[in-house]
Amino acid sequence: MNPPGSLGVLEQNVNEHLSTPIPGPSIHSDNPQERIQARRLRIAARLEARRREALGEYLDGKKESEEDQSKSYKQKEESRLKLAKLLLCGTELVTNIQVAEDIRETHRRVEEEEIKRQRIEKLENEVKTSQDKFDEITAKWEEGKQKRIPQELWEMLKTQQLRCAGLIEDKNKLISELQQELKTKDDQYVKDLKRQSDDICLLLERMEEQVKNVMKTFRQELHHIEKAFEVERQELLTSNKKKWERALQAHNAKELEYLMNRIKKIEDYEKELNKQRIWDCEEYNMIKIKLEQDVQILEQQLQEMKATYQLNQEKLEYNFQVLKKRDEESTVIKSQQKRKINRLHDILNNLRSKYAKQIKQFQEENQSLTLDYKRLVMQFKDLQKAMRHFAFIDGEKFREIWLMNEEEAKDLIGRAFAVDKIIHAQHLGLPWTAPDFWFLKNVGPISQQQQKSAAQIVEEVLMRTEEEAEEATSEPESYLDLPKQVSPRTTKKILMLLCDESGFLIESKLLSLLLPLEKSECYLLRLDAIFSALGIESEDDLYKLVNFFLKFRAHHISPIQVKPLHQANAEQPSVVSDLELEEQLAMEGEEEEGLVEEGEQEEEKESPPSPWLIHPNDVLKILEAFVMGLKKPRDSRAPVRVQKGVRNDSRDSEYWQALTTVVPPAKQNLWDALYTALQKYHLVLTQRAKLLMENEALEQQNTELQMLLQQYLDSKINSQLQVPPTQVFRVPTK
Amino acid sequence: MQDAATPPTSSARSHSSVATRERSSTVGYTSSTIPQPSKPSVTLVPAKSKTPSSGANFHRMRRIIAEDAEWSLAIVPLLTELCIQHIVKNFQKNPILKQLLPEHQQKVLNHLSPDLPLEVTANLIDDESYWRRCCTQRWPVCHVARHDGSWKHMFFERHLENLLKHFIPGTTDPAVILDLLPLCRNYVRRIRVDQFLPPVQLPPPPRTGDQSDSGSEGDMEEPVMDHYQLGDLVAGLSHLEELDLVYGVKDCGMNFEWNLFLFTYRDCHSLAATIKACHTLKIFRLTRSKVDDDKARILIRSLLDHPALEELDLSHNLIGDRGARGAAKLLSHSHLRVLNLANNQVRAPGAQSLAHALAHNTNLISLNLRLNCIEDEGGQALAHALQTNKCLTTLHLGGNELSEPTATLLSQVLAVNTTLTSINLSCNHIGLDGGKQLLEGMSDNKTLLEFDLRLSDVAQESEYLIGQALCANREAARQQALNPSHFMSPITANGPENSAG
Repeated sequence: MNPPGSLGVLEQNVNEHLSTPIPGPSIHSDNPQERIQARRLRIAARLEARRREALGEYLDGKKESEEDQSKSYKQKEESRLKLAKLLLCGTELVTNIQVAEDIRETHRRVEEEEIKRQRIEKLENEVKTSQDKFDEITAKWEEGKQKRIPQELWEMLKTQQLRCAGLIEDKNKLISELQQELKTKDDQYVKDLKRQSDDICLLLERMEEQVKNVMKTFRQELHHIEKAFEVERQELLTSNKKKWERALQAHNAKELEYLMNRIKKIEDYEKELNKQRIWDCEEYNMIKIKLEQDVQILEQQLQEMKATYQLNQEKLEYNFQVLKKRDEESTVIKSQQKRKINRLHDILNNLRSKYAKQIKQFQEENQSLTLDYKRLVMQFKDLQKAMRHFAFIDGEKFREIWLMNEEEAKDLIGRAFAVDKIIHAQHLGLPWTAPDFWFLKNVGPISQQQQKSAAQIVEEVLMRTEEEAEEATSEPESYLDLPKQVSPRTTKKILMLLCDESGFLIESKLLSLLLPLEKSECYLLRLDAIFSALGIESEDDLYKLVNFFLKFRAHHISPIQVKPLHQANAEQPSVVSDLELEEQLAMEGEEEEGLVEEGEQEEEKESPPSPWLIHPNDVLKILEAFVMGLKKPRDSRAPVRVQKGVRNDSRDSEYWQALTTVVPPAKQNLWDALYTALQKYHLVLTQRAKLLMENEALEQQNTELQMLLQQYLDSKINSQLQVPPTQVFRVPTK
Repeated sequence: MQDAATPPTSSARSHSSVATRERSSTVGYTSSTIPQPSKPSVTLVPAKSKTPSSGANFHRMRRIIAEDAEWSLAIVPLLTELCIQHIVKNFQKNPILKQLLPEHQQKVLNHLSPDLPLEVTANLIDDESYWRRCCTQRWPVCHVARHDGSWKHMFFERHLENLLKHFIPGTTDPAVILDLLPLCRNYVRRIRVDQFLPPVQLPPPPRTGDQSDSGSEGDMEEPVMDHYQLGDLVAGLSHLEELDLVYGVKDCGMNFEWNLFLFTYRDCHSLAATIKACHTLKIFRLTRSKVDDDKARILIRSLLDHPALEELDLSHNLIGDRGARGAAKLLSHSHLRVLNLANNQVRAPGAQSLAHALAHNTNLISLNLRLNCIEDEGGQALAHALQTNKCLTTLHLGGNELSEPTATLLSQVLAVNTTLTSINLSCNHIGLDGGKQLLEGMSDNKTLLEFDLRLSDVAQESEYLIGQALCANREAARQQALNPSHFMSPITANGPENSAG
């Protein structure tokens, strides 16, 4: 790699630069500290170089990863690292002095301590020896005090003196030694001062050098960075310029291409234009020729037309003449007609006046009649009211009388029965059974059965048909009296048809509710809804409907026959009563019944081929007609209702007759015979009773006479008598 | 360099503008106020060269020529100019500034002399350029960045420092400093005094001779040796944040006397009272002042529960284990963030007490114990403390006679701790095995940025490898600083790779 290599070279240069000018520590110096320092510096330099290598490798790795980093950035990084290293080295170099000084100081301290310790030891030794010596001397003094001989004393004094001198000498020696040491220390101090100043000088030098170096390298690096930036900028400029030029070239090429295209297109268009022009010319000529030909043809036609025109003109003139003549004729006729009209007008006026008069007359008549009618109606109403009142009262009365009579009759019957019972039990010795007659249970006037509602009937019908389907039994014993010949099956079919066809009459809500129900129930409810919609309430209505259907079916081959009937029904005024209609319908029904029966038979026979009695499409028509017919009677029902109160008394006489014959004639005969027999028996008994009575009277007479006799016997006179009668008679006393 | 470069340009600009204004007020104004594209330079050049024949600006030049050819040489100055000149001249007696229009104010300030008495200028002038001129005139080297970037602050702070430096108790009038107080109270944020002169002794030569003989006499003289009491001054400065003191004499040369470097008990007590009263104080430095255990304890006791103190620097003193114990107590009774006890006499017990305080501390960011003698016992205690500490980022243990056991423990700490960014173990006897262990610990660490192992008998190879790991960490930290949002995913992605590798 180029940059790290150059960097390394540069660094070496710097190092050399750094090391050469500094006169600092050299390996060959006589000062050991300096030598150490010099070696240290050398080591540091080597380490630095090695580290740089490592860093270079590190940088390489980094560079590979950051290939896209710009040159300037790289340069900056390099410079930064370099400068940091430089600063670090410089500070290390500068602080090296301090560190060296520190270690010297520590060494000195250690040495000092050692020397101090030795000195103290020495001094202590010395003190000890001198103390010994002093002790010796003082001991000698004691000795000397005992010496009496002056010579000895003198000798001793001398020796003492010598010894003291020795002691002092020792001390002096010590002092001089210490002073020597002090002096050497002073020298040392001076030397230290000098060395300190040297160190400071060195420090200053190094610092200055460092400052210079740093400044220089900073400048250099700045320069490098600037250069790198410049180069980068140049590169950027050139690349951008290239790009720009390329773009411009491309643009030019494209422009040229467009131009060429345009020219080509212009040429093409021109060619096309020419072609078009030629073609247009040809076409023009062709059209021209064609048009000229057309003109010729048209002229020819014009000539022809002119000829026909003249012909027509002549024809028309002739026609005109003819018409003129006709016109004249018509004017004559017109005048005649006018006269006729006038005459007729007169007649019309006369008739009109007559008509008006008549109208007036009729109106008056009508008014009077309506008044009469109203009065009559009022009267009728009053009458009706009275009648109703009376009918009610009569009913009451009738009922009361009926009840009274019935009671009486029942009482009598009861008595008769009691008697009969006695007769049976006592006289005949037979067990008596109470006769059981329907009329005996009856209380009050015999009333008709209540009319059933249409729905009930329907239900019944349905139930029955189902049963029939199940059991297939023959006619129901007590089936309704009303559907005379109409079979329940037919009825059911008709009703089903009705149910299916007139679903629109049922409310949709109801339909949704019906869904989950059973089929028959469903039909029932639907029919109920339909009937309520149609206004069918009673049993009669229902049968009417059924009959209507049947009738329709009979006429369905020739429906026109039915129609006038309905029309007649519809046109009939309100005077037509319900009864009449009913009668009519009944008659018709009777008429139809035969047909129906036939139809039924036919149906039963031919049920598979024609299952439909009535076509479903006709059901609605029939219904409509029926409803139309039903509507009117419904309106005039209210006044007629009273007649429902009229009870049929056909069974009354029967009832009463029955009551009379409660005791059968055989029994009566029996009773007659019995009566005569009993009468005889009675006679015998009465005779016997008479005889008994006589007997009794005689007994009573006898007792009375006995009593009288007793009385006489018991009286005082007897006693007074000489011969009492009693004694005469031998009467047993009681 | 930058500081030196800027004034001439500005002055040149002002010169040019003045020149143009003098020549033709209208032209000058238009050119200076309305920035016409590419014209100001053109207009200035002919005006300076005084050659009206340049074709580019012919029209404008022509007007001047038409009136008077030599008109540019003599012109009557404007009245405002005259007034401003007068104000500048008599500023000392009659300072008029606030009443002027802003442009005129600027002009006046530009022309004021930096030698005006402070009584006049201190509370009146806020303009930075004036104070900049004052500073540059007075001191050749000015680091304005050290004074909150404010030239005015710098001027007053350095002025005050100067006065303090040359104050001699007994001879100098204390009013000199106290008079300045009302002027500078709003502008002084920090006091950095690297010398306190002792009171002058009338018979210095004999005293020196005596002193070497007997220390008892020196003790008797001690009350006389008290330095300037900062109490009044500090009480007056309402914005004081930093106090950097050295009780010593600079540049004594061959006049060296032990006496000159005495930090007496009275000094100590008064200083303690001063810093206790100063509630705004954030940084307190007392270095190279022979502070021993007792004095250190006095000072630290006054600093207990201080509301604002963040940095305490007692380096280059004579503090032993008792002082270190006091400092440890302070750690748990204040919001201290930086503690510097470099070059003292702290030994293992002191370091152990510090470690005990450090174990549960949540404020301290930096701890410096350089050039002490805590040895392995203290080092191990500190390493144990670092296993639970979650706050410390910088630790300096250079020159502490540490050896392999400490290195073993520290390597464990490195694997666990995620807050430490800088450790210095230079000048110890770590040894080859210790270096290897540290390297092992380093391989699991992703946060450490600096790890100094110079002159500590570590094998070159491990030192080199540690250096590499540091490099990687630095790179990661840089990436994080550049895009903190995208950093989390790469670190998690790289985590297993790195551990595997």
